[in-house]
Amino acid sequence: MAIAILRRLAGAAPAPAFPAIGAGMRAAADDLFLDGRLIRADSIRHARILLVAGPVREADQDDIRRLHDQMLHPRATLWWKSNPVRDFAEPATCDEDDPVAAIEAIHRALIEGARDSEPDILPNEPPNPWRGKGDYGQGGEGMMGGTPYGRPMAMTDDDLRDGLALDAYTAPFGPFLPMLPPGLKLSVTLQGDVIQTAKLLRPPSAQAEAYDGTVTALRALGRFLPILGLEAHAVRCLEAARSLSAGKPIELAKIRQFLFWSGALAAIPSGIGMVEDTDVRMRVERWLAALDESPTGGLDGSATMSPLKPARLVDLLRGREWSEAILIVNSFDTDTLISLAPVEAEDAETEGRAREDGIRMDHEGHGTHAHGATGT
Amino acid sequence: MTQVLAIMVLPLFLLAGIVAAAVLDRAVPPLVAGRSLKASFVGPITVASSRAMGQTGATEHPDTISWILAPILYFTLAAIGLSVVPFAPGVVAADLDAGIVLWGACESLTVVAVFLHGWSANSPLPLIGAYRYVAIGLPAMLLSMFVLIAAALPAQSLAVTDIVEAQRSVWNIVRQPAGFVLFLMLGLSLSLRGPFDFADPYDLAGGTTAEISGAARLTWWLARLAMLVSVSAMTATVFLGGYLGPVLPGFVWLVVKTGLVLVVLVGAGEVFARLPPDRMMNLIWLALLPLSFLMLVAVGVELLLWG
Repeated sequence: MAIAILRRLAGAAPAPAFPAIGAGMRAAADDLFLDGRLIRADSIRHARILLVAGPVREADQDDIRRLHDQMLHPRATLWWKSNPVRDFAEPATCDEDDPVAAIEAIHRALIEGARDSEPDILPNEPPNPWRGKGDYGQGGEGMMGGTPYGRPMAMTDDDLRDGLALDAYTAPFGPFLPMLPPGLKLSVTLQGDVIQTAKLLRPPSAQAEAYDGTVTALRALGRFLPILGLEAHAVRCLEAARSLSAGKPIELAKIRQFLFWSGALAAIPSGIGMVEDTDVRMRVERWLAALDESPTGGLDGSATMSPLKPARLVDLLRGREWSEAILIVNSFDTDTLISLAPVEAEDAETEGRAREDGIRMDHEGHGTHAHGATGT
Repeated sequence: MTQVLAIMVLPLFLLAGIVAAAVLDRAVPPLVAGRSLKASFVGPITVASSRAMGQTGATEHPDTISWILAPILYFTLAAIGLSVVPFAPGVVAADLDAGIVLWGACESLTVVAVFLHGWSANSPLPLIGAYRYVAIGLPAMLLSMFVLIAAALPAQSLAVTDIVEAQRSVWNIVRQPAGFVLFLMLGLSLSLRGPFDFADPYDLAGGTTAEISGAARLTWWLARLAMLVSVSAMTATVFLGGYLGPVLPGFVWLVVKTGLVLVVLVGAGEVFARLPPDRMMNLIWLALLPLSFLMLVAVGVELLLWG
């Protein structure tokens, strides 16, 4: 009886879904989660439905499998305008522009027990057995460092800023972390929350979002503001972008006023993410300035979307606190970010290093779904 | 007898406060986002039911006992902190001579509870959330001590009941308005909200909660709401005269004032931006802590001259 009531109540709750966004689907996914019948899960652990939106790159397919296995039961996957990758049994697909009804139906079926929870895809075991120092590249000294079981372990190292010896820890982040652009995957060495080194493993997926002045600025703000804890303001910006795209009038001055009083600009440290004499705060100021202008002419697209060959994203992140790094990454549009990530050179270096320290092969290759979900 | 009554009232007060806070949490963000008001008692219950039905989950080699104990400790600290708040004249669960000190101990141990929650997951992002919270939480607690001592000075007592009675002539919010604002900031920090949510923020994929689900997430959510209620009641008591007020019974005044602070805290959590931790540390150590000390000096001087 009590379980039946609990099920009925749970079935009426918004469906918690985690979007794994592929090429060209970022704006559609942003708009989708403005619907009150859904909750956008910050972590795959908080989700009941994995929503794979758009085509998934071949390199990302293992991450999708791992993400799936990190989701807790009862769980399901919906492939929205996407081709299911291998190993997913009886995949649910949806090619409609609005998949909310499909997500709701799956959620309700899971809660009511009418649909079976999806089983694991990967084996739940370490990628390689513990061997101490040896062939698996564990390395380290004494009880610290290296990659035992294929998991990187903290090792004392000098901090970049003050030389204080702290525990450094290396782990991959992305390609579907919500605070990173879809597809971006980095290997980051952290001491506390300070990035000592960052390596590009995979660039962001191309989004092909047409430059559209104020709409572009509003979308950029909608993705940036949650990092400053302004989720409600972000929703306001994304809703405005959607309305403006549909040709509906909106009060841009009001949005600008709210953001002024929120202290968003003052919260951003000056001088971080400097590219061509423009830092993160200046880029956000440009978005805000675009809200004062005509709907299509406010943002200087050439300044933010031109290829920026001399700068490298990984260099901009080095020595930054985690939250500063996330601000930097999200201050660029996808095209600029791709130009800041010199794939050819980075790939060669990264693949070589990864083989050397065992991170890529061991940390990601096989059954790892009991390990931390946050890395993906 | 009144103490027994207070002990019976306390869980009811906490429960009602948690429900109110959960409803506000669903209603305020849409308002800030420019949507229509959606205050509903059913919404939080459906979300809670949904979480209750999920698996709790696990990571590889977590510190399981700490992981289970952290939300229990957090919730317990909220309840113990609330126990020093007088619900009406003479009706207080723990009428201690040093009630403020007990509250301060609860504040400090909250840092331990949140750190344990992030640490025990054995995962990078929750651990960063834990580190960050300790870095910000410790100076925030120091700040609170200055503010509370300044509030206790006019009463010349560390008992919370005496602090309320000392506000019969003038509320502490008038005496130290900056202290009131600083205490609200502490409230945001204790309940992991908005500009002071350094433990569970979006940029860490939920921080200390990034690896939990189901009942574990539900418990942590309830503990956060309980702490929000507790700190709201304490703010109402220390700065807004607690149960003091005309016509209506004292308990009603406390409920009204607590509700008001609750609304302010939930609203502030949605409206103001969060500084990166390094900037926040600078702000607290270089500006807010000296300000709280100045407030303490100002209250002391006022009492010496006109007290």
